Parts: sequence; structure tokens; C-alpha cells
Amino acid sequence: MVAQSFALAFLLFAQHRTIAIDDKLAADLRIRIGDRVVVSARPGGAGDTVIVSGILARVADPSEVAYSQYRIRMHLDQLQHIDGYDDRVARFAVATRGEDGTERTLSSINAAAFGFEAHRSRDIAVETSRTFQVVSRFHRAIGVITIVASAIFLLCIMLLKVEERRRDVAALRMIGISRTTVAKSVVTEAAALALLGSALGVGLGWLMSLTINWHYRGVYRTSLYFSIVTPSIIAFAVALSIVLGIGAGVLASMRLVRTPPLALFGR
Amino acid sequence: MRFALARAALVRHRPRTILATLGVAVAAAMLLDMVMMSTGMRESFRELLLSRGFQIRLAPKGTLPFDTDATIDSVSSVIAALRENPDLTTISPVLGASINVRVGNRAITSASLGVNPRVQGDYELLTGRDPLASNEIAVNEDFQRATRARFGDTIEVSIGYDPQTRSVTQTRKFVVTGRVRFLYGAANQPATAMQLATLQQMSGLARSDDASLFMIRVRDGANVESARAWIERRIPTVGVISIETAMAQVDERLSYFRQLALILGSVSLFVGFLLVTTLMTVSVNERIGEIAVMRAIGVARWHVVQQIVLEGIAISLAGAIAGLGLGLVTAKYLNAILSSFPGLPMAIDFFLFQPRAVWTALGLLAVSGMAAGVYPAWRAASLPVATTLRQEAIA
Repeated sequence: MVAQSFALAFLLFAQHRTIAIDDKLAADLRIRIGDRVVVSARPGGAGDTVIVSGILARVADPSEVAYSQYRIRMHLDQLQHIDGYDDRVARFAVATRGEDGTERTLSSINAAAFGFEAHRSRDIAVETSRTFQVVSRFHRAIGVITIVASAIFLLCIMLLKVEERRRDVAALRMIGISRTTVAKSVVTEAAALALLGSALGVGLGWLMSLTINWHYRGVYRTSLYFSIVTPSIIAFAVALSIVLGIGAGVLASMRLVRTPPLALFGR
Repeated sequence: MRFALARAALVRHRPRTILATLGVAVAAAMLLDMVMMSTGMRESFRELLLSRGFQIRLAPKGTLPFDTDATIDSVSSVIAALRENPDLTTISPVLGASINVRVGNRAITSASLGVNPRVQGDYELLTGRDPLASNEIAVNEDFQRATRARFGDTIEVSIGYDPQTRSVTQTRKFVVTGRVRFLYGAANQPATAMQLATLQQMSGLARSDDASLFMIRVRDGANVESARAWIERRIPTVGVISIETAMAQVDERLSYFRQLALILGSVSLFVGFLLVTTLMTVSVNERIGEIAVMRAIGVARWHVVQQIVLEGIAISLAGAIAGLGLGLVTAKYLNAILSSFPGLPMAIDFFLFQPRAVWTALGLLAVSGMAAGVYPAWRAASLPVATTLRQEAIA
């Protein structure tokens, strides 16, 4: 019985060649392993009947995330035949032994061949990641603008806070509290405010990161991470906000301690 | 009177007002940039698609033009079918391919378009003339830079490579007749244009009657959507893309930037709002005695509210106006970054300046400034006059 089943399966697969399709295509068109489909280079054109022998999970490739095209894998000669490509291929992947082997292979191919060029996989990876380098530069620029806005905001808040306490500070100064002590208290307050704000910001950022990943993973049907909160990012954000807070505190306290106590009282 | 009082209150604390205005200016710049980005890409892309008046494109089914190597076969029969509809006035088939040009020991690879120069919508001629003969070629500046080819020069162009004989195939000699700018060309991409029939022949038997794309102009006054639907029915094996369907597909691909614009724009607006609210609240707290005196001598509640809301609007608008200039500068910088996306047509702007974007940003900031003044104004207007005066006198 088992032998018969194997024989039938063998006959079935021998009659038609096999392809593998991606899980997105399988889910959208409800195709299962063993189904027969017709593949052709052009819609409605003559094609080959093939059997789906595998369903592949797509590799989470950031460079393809915005593309909603389906992917199938088929035998090289069959694709060449269907597409009228004769004996041509789009590219070769060549494995080499070590760095020297790679260098020798690159030189010999590029010296011998006209019409195609050999590239290191590393160089191709750099080239294909240019999109992400551009996005990364854009994010950095947005980050700089945000930092400038935050610095001004913090300075404004600190200035308002010290202005609000002009009379308190005047009283402190008149009972003998030194300028340095007043300045230190303002700077400490600013640093504490910045620390508290950055702690809240980290929490908010973490929640937003979760939301962004949830949203875009659904939109692009991928397992990629679109936003990652790492300890180094947290450390950078907290350090930056404390530095900005201290800077704002210093500027605000200088304005306060330079004013005579009576002027602070409004006299 | 109200304006004078609001102005006096703002001038009294000059550093604070300047800082708040600066803060709002940065928020306004960001908001303007995000409003420009949310609509700019779309409008820029639409303008690009319509720049030569072609409203419909035919591409291999399931793809966008030049998204893959797939082609549409039987160009002549497709054209014959399209000619049945009198609303379709111009049909321009285009084939894309990669060509190699030998310069010394190097091979320069370039994109090439096979077109009908009399009806093409892919390039504009800068100098020289169109490639009207089968041995003529028009090139862009990047191609000239890479190959050092000048007008009248003869260059050797090949498409195929035979690894058995280690030699190029389908080689032809072309005379450079003109310098062109490709409307959909990416930055630093050498590109050329030649006659469609020439490129088809060079591409081999499999592509001898193929096109990558058809660009179609619809008669003035005719309904583009009806024409699109007619083509879909008449030639069901091709994808028919009108400007609207192309925009929808571009929207899908660039949705990340629109969503980013929405999020960052909202955050900017909220930061501006928060800054003005904080400033106005502190300002009202400081002037509590002054406001109580105004109320005691008969100044109406509504008058006090108006004065404080005016202060909020004044800061927001001053910041917004300063932010417009800043926003345009940052937009230019950010646009330069995003324009370096590989493969993106140079003509597409992510940040397109439109008066509508400026008015939207200004309107949002004015509303935000007004809203920012509401809480402090309500607090000022609802002060118990006698109690406040007594507390101020004691203080």
C-alpha cells in the first residue's frame, strides 16, 4: 500500500515539474502542497503546468518590505524556457576559499569578461542597503531638529520656573544664602526635571516602539522590527536630556543670581 | 486697548517671550515640513506623471512601469487594438534595457529606452536633436560624463554577451545626436534613448516586438477612467494604470513617510501648544493681582479672556512666521537627503512648497495658540476678585 502511494506520487511528480511558492501567495490564493498550477511569463500566455511542492517562509528582507509582489522558486532551465531566456541567467553566486580566493576570483573574472562584472557580496550588501542609509540620515536630521526644539523648550520652562520664584530667591539671598548655593539648587532642580522627563520619555518611547512594530508588521506582513529600543539608545537619550537640563539650569540660574535681591523683590 | 495690553504683557518679559517664540518657531518649522511632506510626494509625483500629458500607462500585468524585467509582447497588435478607441490620441510604446558601451578597457553600463521620438514622453531634449534614424542615440549628462561622448561621436553599443566565445553580441555603432534629460531618471544614472525598433532588434528574438510600457494620451474632454476601463476590457492581459491608480500604488509604497509626517506633525503641534500654555499659565499666575484690579475697576471678564487669548495667538503667530523661513531651509536640507534614494526619479520632491501647506500650518498654529490661551484665560476670568486683592495686598 505504502509502496503504491510512493509510486503514484513519483508518477505525479515525474509528469510535472515542481515549484515552491511563498507563504503569502499560498495564503492569498489558498494554494496547498500538491496543487497543480499553470505558470507563464505573460498573463494568458502558454505556460507549464507545475506542482506546488513547497511553501517557503519569506526571509525578512528590509529591502523588499514595501513590495507586495509574490515570489515563486522554480528550476532554472524551466524559467529560462518559459521566459524565452535561452541559456542566460541574471547572475551567478560563486563561493570562494578565503579572502585571497575571493580577490583572485574577482580579478580574473573582471579581467577576462566583458559584459558582466564580478562584485563582492559585501559590496552588494552595501549597495542594496543604500535605501536604509538614506532613511537613517533622514531620521538623524529629524532627531537633531527635535533636540533643538527640546533644548529651547527646557530653557523656556527653567526660565519660567526661576521667574516664578524671584521673591523666594530674593528672600534667600537677603538672609545670607550665597549665589552659588542658589545657582546649584536651580541646576539640581533642572537636572532632576530632565531626568524625570527622560524617564517618562523612555517609557513613552518604549510603548510607541511596540505600537510601531505591531502596526507595520501587520501592514507589511513581515517579522521585521521597525523600531528597536536598545540600552545604548536609552543611555544616549537620558544623558542628552540631563546635559540639556543642566545647560538650561545654568543659563536660568545665571540670570537669577546676577539680579540684585531688591530688584528680585521688584523694588 | 486689548491689543495694547497684550503687547505690553509680552514686551514686559522680553527674554521669556523671545524664547517661547523661538520654541514655537522650531515646532512650526517641523509642522510646516511635515505638512509639506504629507502632500508633497503625492503632488510632485502627480506633476511628474502629467508633465507630458500622458494620463494612462500600460505595464505588464501586476507590475508598475519598469518595476521588473517583464515586458508586454506584440506591440503592433496592442497599438492596433488601442487605435480602435478614438479617445486615445497618442500612444507611445517604450522598451527598457541595459546596454554596454566600451570606453578603453572599461565597459560602461547604461540604461536605455527604445522610444518613438515623435511621440515619446520620457525625456526632454536639451541640445541637439532626437534620435530619428536607427543608428542615432540621445544621451544624458551622466552618460556623457561616464563615456566622454560628444555630439557627432560614434560609439559602439552592445547588449548581449556570449560566454562561450567571450565576446559581446548585438553590437551596433551609434552617432550621438542630442543631450536629453530623462524625466523619470534617477540621480547619477547614465541613460540613453534610441529608436524602439532598434532596441527591440538588439534585444534579440524574444523581445523583437516587446515593450516595457505604453504611455497613452487621452483626448481633451474625454473621461480618463472610462478610457482606462475600456482598455482593461479590450486588452485584459496588461495592467492599465491611470494617474489615480498609480497614485494609490505610490501611496501604498510611501505610506511610511505619510504616517511619519502625521506623527511628527502632531507632536510638533502638541509641543507648540504645550509651550504656549505653560507660558500663558505662568504669565497669568504672575499677573493675578493686576487682573484682579482690572476686574475690580469694571473691566469685563470677556475683555480679560480676549487679552490672554490674544497673547497666546500673538506668540504662536510670531513663532509660526519665524518658523516658515526655518521650515523652508530645513525642508530643502531634508529633501536633499531623501532625494538620494536609489532609483528614485530626480524630479520627485518629498517636500514640495505649496501655498496651501503654509496656510494649513499657519491655521493649525493659530488654532493651537487660541486653544493654548483658553485654560489660562478661564483661570484669569474666574478669579474671585476681592479674595485675590486681599491676598495680593498681604503678599
